Amino acid sequence: MSARMARLGPVGRSVALVVASILLVSAVLTLSGFSVLTVANGMWQGAVSAPGAWQMSFRWGAPLFLVAIGVAIALRAGFFNIGGLGQFYVGATAALFVGLGLPGLPAIVVLPLACLAAMAAGALFAFIPGWLRVRYGTDEVITTLMSNFIGTLWLQYVTAVLLKDPSGTGQQTATRPVEEAYRIANVQGVSPVTVGILVAAAILVWLLLERTPFGITSAIAGRNPVMARWQGLRLERVGLLAFLLSGALAGLAGAIEVFGPQGRLVSGFSPQLGFTAVLVAIVGGLNVGGIVLAAAFFGGLQAALLYLPIVTPLPPSALDLLRGTIALLITVTSLSALGRALGRRRARSD
Amino acid sequence: MTTEAIPSAAAVPPVGAAAALAVHGLTVRFGDLAAVEDVGIAFAPGRIHAVVGQNGAGKTTFARAVMGLVRPAAGSVELAGRTLPPGDVVAARAAGIDMVHQSFALPPTFTVAEALELFVPAPGPVYRRSTMEARWERVLRDAGIEASPRARIRDLPIETLQALEIVRALAGRPSLLILDEPTAVLPPPAIERLFARLAAIRATGVTILIVLHKVREVLELADTVSVLRHGRLVLPPTPASELTPARLGHLIVGSDATAAAAAVAEADAIEEAVAGAPHHAADAVPVLRVSGASTAAAAAEAPLRDVSLEIRPGEIVGIAAVEGNGQRALVRAVVGLDTLSAGRLEIDGADVTRAETLERRRRGLRAIPFDRNSEGVSATSSLWENVTIGELLRPAPGRRFVTPGRLRARATEALDAWNVRYGSVDQRAGELSGGNIQRLIFSRELGADARLVVAAQPTRGLDLAATAFVRETLRDLRDRDAGILLVSSDLDELFECSDRIVVLLGGAVAAEFRSPFSLAAVGAAMVGATEPGR
Amino acid sequence: MEQLIATTLRTSAPIALVALGGVIAWRAGIFHLGLEGLMVIGAFFAVAGTVATGEVLIGLLAAIVACLIASALFWVVIVPMRANAIIAGLGLSIIGVGATSYLLPVLYGKRGILEVDQGLWRPITGVQAGIAGALSELSVMVWLIPAFVLVVWVLVRRTSWGLRLAAVGEHPFAARSAGVDPARMRLVALLACGVLCALGGAALSLGSIVAFRENMTEGRGYIAFTAVIFGGGGPIGAAVASLFFGFAEAVGIQTQLVARDLPVPSQFILMLPYILTIVAVFISGLAAGGRSRLPGAFGELRDG
Repeated sequence: MSARMARLGPVGRSVALVVASILLVSAVLTLSGFSVLTVANGMWQGAVSAPGAWQMSFRWGAPLFLVAIGVAIALRAGFFNIGGLGQFYVGATAALFVGLGLPGLPAIVVLPLACLAAMAAGALFAFIPGWLRVRYGTDEVITTLMSNFIGTLWLQYVTAVLLKDPSGTGQQTATRPVEEAYRIANVQGVSPVTVGILVAAAILVWLLLERTPFGITSAIAGRNPVMARWQGLRLERVGLLAFLLSGALAGLAGAIEVFGPQGRLVSGFSPQLGFTAVLVAIVGGLNVGGIVLAAAFFGGLQAALLYLPIVTPLPPSALDLLRGTIALLITVTSLSALGRALGRRRARSD
Repeated sequence: MTTEAIPSAAAVPPVGAAAALAVHGLTVRFGDLAAVEDVGIAFAPGRIHAVVGQNGAGKTTFARAVMGLVRPAAGSVELAGRTLPPGDVVAARAAGIDMVHQSFALPPTFTVAEALELFVPAPGPVYRRSTMEARWERVLRDAGIEASPRARIRDLPIETLQALEIVRALAGRPSLLILDEPTAVLPPPAIERLFARLAAIRATGVTILIVLHKVREVLELADTVSVLRHGRLVLPPTPASELTPARLGHLIVGSDATAAAAAVAEADAIEEAVAGAPHHAADAVPVLRVSGASTAAAAAEAPLRDVSLEIRPGEIVGIAAVEGNGQRALVRAVVGLDTLSAGRLEIDGADVTRAETLERRRRGLRAIPFDRNSEGVSATSSLWENVTIGELLRPAPGRRFVTPGRLRARATEALDAWNVRYGSVDQRAGELSGGNIQRLIFSRELGADARLVVAAQPTRGLDLAATAFVRETLRDLRDRDAGILLVSSDLDELFECSDRIVVLLGGAVAAEFRSPFSLAAVGAAMVGATEPGR
Repeated sequence: MEQLIATTLRTSAPIALVALGGVIAWRAGIFHLGLEGLMVIGAFFAVAGTVATGEVLIGLLAAIVACLIASALFWVVIVPMRANAIIAGLGLSIIGVGATSYLLPVLYGKRGILEVDQGLWRPITGVQAGIAGALSELSVMVWLIPAFVLVVWVLVRRTSWGLRLAAVGEHPFAARSAGVDPARMRLVALLACGVLCALGGAALSLGSIVAFRENMTEGRGYIAFTAVIFGGGGPIGAAVASLFFGFAEAVGIQTQLVARDLPVPSQFILMLPYILTIVAVFISGLAAGGRSRLPGAFGELRDG
């Protein structure tokens, strides 16, 4: 089976495991009395065919894509940056500070400034765990996990205290909105500007990973840092750069949220973005083309989920089931080992 | 090497008694590869039996299959007439087999007592630390090992670790003791002590099965010798007295004529080491100058203490030292992996004391690391990535972008020039054999721009043909006026290749010798039994 | 003050139980980010079992069984099927939160919360005033924490099983040479961890609030994982770290309730434990000489 999996190649493997996860979750839905056909039909409508559906898929896929290519840059260099959510939040608040702090200036000045500020803030937020990792060997899984909680609390502070919308009512706290003139997209999220930013980011990151010495040597270092050091690779510099780029891309995603579909900041928005982006990066095989497809898939799922209540009373947590199942299975490397283990158990009990 | 310390085999039981260990039709497969194929063999009790062969001949796999650590695809293992369940370590240990592993089965953060306790077959559920430590302290004292039961495994020298492994293996009173390449990690004096210890164990009636690959050691130690080649038995247990080094060499390598010659050469007396004529000019600027170098204390090994040495163009300087006496620290300091706490390093006259590895490599430093598979290549990266990483890290000015197609072509060129046997430049380096991995490393490190080559254990674990190739390559480099720092635990190799030998002891230079070398003098300097000589 | 102590003990107990489970997994060499999922599964089934039968003990049993099944599945994925433990662990956590939120409407037709009319036994009753009054809100699970710590400490530090466990985590080849099957040992470790996570979840949902809320663990499983590392992988360290996290949460709760006019916004006080964890991990990493874990942990759990 593992030989068969190897023959599938990385793309086929990802697709096969995602399909297997979908089948598993479908079985659960069927058992709990939902019609899988109705749900599937509703999801197709919600993600693709209903009016405005594909725009919503794009709207949710775009930040996933940006955060995920950042995760991929770090992961290829051997670093587990699971702090995407915190970096995204900090980037979004930085963009908002620029958007609200420079009133009256033309959008052509404010927007680039806000994007730069968001990228710098995201990069800075990723710099701390990155620097601790490459300089002192502090485990980055833990520090980036912690930084998510810190980023979430920071967003809470900004929305509930610092830039609180005084007219706001309801359960969630939100900030004042940015001026209409600064918006790069409406609630649906698709506009020439957002598409342009995404395409530019995709091309630049692809060039960086596949066509520069940094991209190729950092991938080797990710697989064997000891060997890379013997070759003279500056692990500290490469690792730090990977963290910074990773954080900058997450920050940029935050800026797009602020000036695009959100128009302001709401406490605790898109809470699953960080982990889902890690998933998108891995499902996409850590390369840009794969991540485009994976981000489209997960963005579509999110869009479909918001549409589904029109069709069927499926609880929204069904999407978590699917996300979790894919995460559980996506890195499986050997099914034959499972067969052998079970075979040995049987042999022993004979 | 002397043999007086070892009692003769005359006292052992006569052949013909029931076999201590009998193996029938043993076959072990890893995927499609048959590591051991249809081996049938029987060993008489109370003797030392050597199983020899080249790297990859299946010796270690054979030993692990007997121990139950590897599950055979076919065949059976019989201990004193009783068939053991296949692939079952617990049953094998209960039946009376135990094994000393080449890389030791001792967890580094465990204390000595904990590591020994781990192997007790039927321990009580809860222990008291003090009682347990007292018990193992007695055992250690009886075995003559100077180590506290409270010491951490990671802090102990290799020879002590091996002695611990033997104590651990003997604690269960086995009737069969297996040792896997026990001499590979030991300096010559320790090898003699090990052999004496093994002879003493034999005298208590324990059967010993020892996996070795050095012809000289085999003939010195073993009562019988068996040879594996390509996983098959080519020589059943044969009294060592009936074998000559030449015959054994031929059996080990098979039909390969050059390798057979190399095997014989190795078996020949090492005192006849060939002294290469010095090629270097005495007044040239040294390729490497180390002056007064010291490093910060490290956990596993002696740091450098005020080390000074020079390597001139066209010179091979050998470093002889017992494992743990500073050779690793020296290599790491020269390559730039660790910085000096005092002293100065120069490459071709330029001060590189504070320079990063990359800067030193730009000046012509090349390195063949101690451990090929972890330090020399990235086993899970493709061949082309492994070959071109060097030039990717030192790109020509103005080359910001690279194309994988061009890099693949460059890699193909380099690998073909060094006769690496591979399928495609896109395959993973880990799929190559040890010898081919070493050739890959050479193809990357030993280009025309190599000025200073640090070669650490360049032939460790290689078969005879590959070893001969490596030594020839080093001599070719010397002829091209490069300077070579050769670190090896194989004194034969140092004597054969070096123009000078520097002995390190406790991280400091203990002595320096010029060829022709005397084994007695170098050996004495390595263990500190002599005045610093010239 | 009494209230602060009581709140600290109450909030740290669930974390401590899960962290003790995490210690066992950690020593077997498993980076267990699925603790959050197991904890929320334990919390849900403890309430569900109690609602179904009216017996708290059956509820505990249901939580344990559910966590054992989830842990066994996790083992199948990361050991025989060799998935990356970090990603699969995050997956288990997402499934745990998702599945319990999914079951709430599917089984009970309810959104958000499932209430139950009884909780865990509270040893101190009938007192209102002073310290005893504050402590009367603590369930039996809180009082049993020292016993759990002691049991796990003896298990990992003073039994041959603990030695074998540590050998599996640190040097699988040595474990195999000693006749220990690392795969089986990891299964046992994950199952033991599952039981403790179930108890931790139950301490949360049946201890003081006595209800299951959607996503009620709110990252406490990750905090417990952090406590394992903060505590250096040992049970006593993990328990002390859990107490610290409980204290930080209690301070946060108290400041929100009592002192609304603090000069520092409450969010910054709530950040403190996370920042201190980063500091602690940094210091313990320094102590380990920067060799805590090599990057590129893909394919870990490979046996030597």
